[in-house]
Amino acid sequence: MTATPERRTTRPLAEPDLPKFDVGDLDQATREALSGLLLTMADDEFVLGFWDSEWTGIAPMLEEDVAFSSLAQDEIGHARLLYEMIAQLRGGDADDLAFGRTADEYRHCHLLDHPRTDWAFSVARRWLYDTADAVRLSALRRSTFAPLAQIVEKIRREETYHLMHMDVWMRRLAEGGEPRQRLEAALDSLWPDALSVFASLPDEGHLIDAGVLAAPMSELADRQYQHLLTVLGSLRLSVPGPRPAWEGGRARAQPSESFRWLWGEFTMVHRLEEGAVW
Amino acid sequence: MTDPLALEPVLQPDECARPLYHDPELTHEERYHAFVEHVQAGHKVEARDWMPDEYRQGVLRFVEMHANSELMGVLPEREWIMRAPNLKRKLALTAKVQDEVGHAQLLYRVAEDLGKPREQMLEDLLDGKTKFHNVFHYPTKSWGDVGIIAWLVDAAAIVAQQALRESSYGPYSRTMKKICWEESVHIMHGRDVVVTMMNGTPTQREMVQEALDRWWGPLMQMHGPRSDRAKDRDLFWHIKAKTSEELRQEFLTIYVPRIRELGLTIPDPELRLDEAAGEWRYSEPDWNELRTVVTNHGPMSQERLDFRRENHDLTAWVRATVLAPPAATAVAVA
Amino acid sequence: MSPEHTGPLGQPVPAVGPTAKPPPNSEGGTDPAGRLGEGARPDIWEVFRQEKDGDPMRHAGNVRAPDRDLATHYARELYARRQESVRLWIVSRGDITDLSDPDLLQPPLDRTFKKPGGYVMRDKLDAARKRAVAGSDGDEVGGGGGASE
Repeated sequence: MTATPERRTTRPLAEPDLPKFDVGDLDQATREALSGLLLTMADDEFVLGFWDSEWTGIAPMLEEDVAFSSLAQDEIGHARLLYEMIAQLRGGDADDLAFGRTADEYRHCHLLDHPRTDWAFSVARRWLYDTADAVRLSALRRSTFAPLAQIVEKIRREETYHLMHMDVWMRRLAEGGEPRQRLEAALDSLWPDALSVFASLPDEGHLIDAGVLAAPMSELADRQYQHLLTVLGSLRLSVPGPRPAWEGGRARAQPSESFRWLWGEFTMVHRLEEGAVW
Repeated sequence: MTDPLALEPVLQPDECARPLYHDPELTHEERYHAFVEHVQAGHKVEARDWMPDEYRQGVLRFVEMHANSELMGVLPEREWIMRAPNLKRKLALTAKVQDEVGHAQLLYRVAEDLGKPREQMLEDLLDGKTKFHNVFHYPTKSWGDVGIIAWLVDAAAIVAQQALRESSYGPYSRTMKKICWEESVHIMHGRDVVVTMMNGTPTQREMVQEALDRWWGPLMQMHGPRSDRAKDRDLFWHIKAKTSEELRQEFLTIYVPRIRELGLTIPDPELRLDEAAGEWRYSEPDWNELRTVVTNHGPMSQERLDFRRENHDLTAWVRATVLAPPAATAVAVA
Repeated sequence: MSPEHTGPLGQPVPAVGPTAKPPPNSEGGTDPAGRLGEGARPDIWEVFRQEKDGDPMRHAGNVRAPDRDLATHYARELYARRQESVRLWIVSRGDITDLSDPDLLQPPLDRTFKKPGGYVMRDKLDAARKRAVAGSDGDEVGGGGGASE
């Protein structure tokens, strides 16, 4: 074992975001099902945070650069909170979860497999994701498992700003000319994955029975779809295709090429030395 | 800070008189001299004031280079945002780089209000007509660089920036106060990264030492060659307050002990404090290297400018639309 | 190279563009770029912030944005992303009127009658108190019933 770094006791800087809870409050099956759901959520936020942070320094305008970077940081912050909750549920460490898996072990949705591409693509993808995320968080906010309800509430409040910001951009891009064309092209290419946030989970039934999750993924997908149609209609954008049907769950035989590149980047330093503290 | 509800006069009666240089009936020469007296007495100039062309150009050039440096300074660090090895570091580094972009915004706004459009400043930067600081022309090779840059490069910059809080140009002086406040976090983050690695594995310690070996030269060049106080126009106008050498000495005084206490070796065998003179002695920095680098012949100068140019072009279509006024009919969005 | 022009860290900046010294008949002047009120750039928004409940609004800086919505988002980012503000006001630069004429704000003639500091009455008070003490040997001033002679 390499030299243990000295443990310096530092005062906690703020009240911890993750409420303390007793793992025994949940039965084994619920605990596992919940970990599974949280992992999909954490991986979603984590991967989106990475794609969006790529715009830092090179966004179209300085002011927008700062704004978009905040969105990316929020997502990483949410991911951190979710990984910490998973770590408390099943043991282990949030950083190990975030950085220690092989590429095929990540459970982010297919919508997030795409790289950031151009500005219209990033905006369209974020908009699709944020719409889904709002529906998902709504379905968890009255969870019978109180610690989950609490962190969902905090995340929801931050996400309000995200949707507001994407709303402004969608409207501006949809106005016409080249931006509108780019937006339409982006939506066309993203459409097959538009509802992939709600890929079914193997044990979601159990979560519904336990009162943790309000409705099955398929129903949440319906809700998201309705929102998408409404917004597209109000922007006078045509619906890119038939309602996308998502078969299969979150697991993949092969991670996408872009995600494999991303995984290579974010694990690069972590893989240099097993167990090192950074 | 002034209390906006203060009932007592803030200015003494003799300061209430209209500054002489505002008087359009004076000759240019008279106004110029009144203005010089005004700034040398420590008073401020605002964006809409009358000012000599030389002052306006001097402030603009100074602030523009500063803004350019914040903008280019983003590039060496942004690739490491993707590679940050844990969640806390990822958040801290993204926030730090975000701050640099924010500082660029603040500074370009100050410069713009002096009469040069932002687009023109970006064009001049990309065309190599205007410059940015030497340290941002070098490559970053490891996570060790991330720590050294965030700690020591930022520290050297903040030594200069703190002195600029007293600049005679009001908008710049106020912006520097905000920037200094935000930068204090960066240095703590940087030092935390370095200390953590120095407490870690031998590989981590070697990584930091190796990074320091590469960065020490550029750091010593950063504040520039010793200048003649009497000839320095920026000091004359109180745009800045301290000389290059004063800044360098201040940096060494604070940071040499802090570097050495971690067990790091500074790669300059001549570096020592001359107790009698109260000054640090060091090997003469390579001023040729500095000159070469700031004229965009550094190891990464062209690559970074090209990268910025490429991304600027890729997003041109966004500026062409977003900067236009919105359509007359606002569509209601659910 | 000329040491006359250095950047913020003292680095040499070659003089490019306009020459350093103005020609003898140069005018100096003001530049419209920073103008407030009429003629101001429509895409600049001034930001005011309140640091904590009850504090006055203080000018913090400005952002560039094509409309009020984005201006508000950007103001939040540039002046409140560290939770350092509890309120922001975002104002189009064109809506601000600048008043800085010293003749109007700091007129030279005495106005101490408008301020508490303009009423110095220590000596008068001393005199009044002494008179009251001298007069109260036997009499009460302002007490019930007894009128002074």
